[in-house]
Amino acid sequence: MPPVIVESSRFGTLEIEESAVIEFPTGLIGLGGTRWTLVGDITDGPFQWLHSLEDGDLALPVTNPWAFFAEYEVDLSDADTAKLGADEAAVLVTVRASTELAGFSANLRAPILIAEGRGHQMINEAKDAPVRAPLFEIAESAAA
Amino acid sequence: MLIITRRPGEKIMVGDDIVVHVMEIVGNSVRVGIEAPRSVPVYREEIWNAVRDENRAAADTAPDALPKPDKQDA
Repeated sequence: MPPVIVESSRFGTLEIEESAVIEFPTGLIGLGGTRWTLVGDITDGPFQWLHSLEDGDLALPVTNPWAFFAEYEVDLSDADTAKLGADEAAVLVTVRASTELAGFSANLRAPILIAEGRGHQMINEAKDAPVRAPLFEIAESAAA
Repeated sequence: MLIITRRPGEKIMVGDDIVVHVMEIVGNSVRVGIEAPRSVPVYREEIWNAVRDENRAAADTAPDALPKPDKQDA
């Protein structure tokens, strides 16, 4: 199958192999979009971009939650576990950026779970999973 | 908006495959059960709103807004 071509407003022309396409059957919460891919190399830093294949303007920074929150836990409802249809999934969380490091946060309440080429943004029922968890709290207090 | 009165134990059909059960009323709370196909996610509205807002905020990020690894350690 030929690669999917996306004209990204952030990254220019992207050629995405079909194997790198992640199908989100119900889209991202409140944003929709059923076909996405990950852009960026995690060896370049903790962030990647979840990029829409349907809208070249639409991309969200994401990160591995355990890179910042060692104690992070994901607890899914039985219905969401069944929907995932896999015993293991890659977990990413969306990142809210800011001009200040102290303003960066991750959404621990609604992680993105990816298994077998399919992605779901699901509600994490674990305690202590805020929608805006500061990413650089330690850096902030060290600077203060 | 459709406004209807239901008693505990009664149900509402939304289309052919979504069932809303009015289970019980305790004080000023209503316990509601929802049966929906897997393709129809069900959320508490305030959580849906909060997550949508975070998704929108994340989608507003410029490509150069993310800190580089060396900057994080600063």
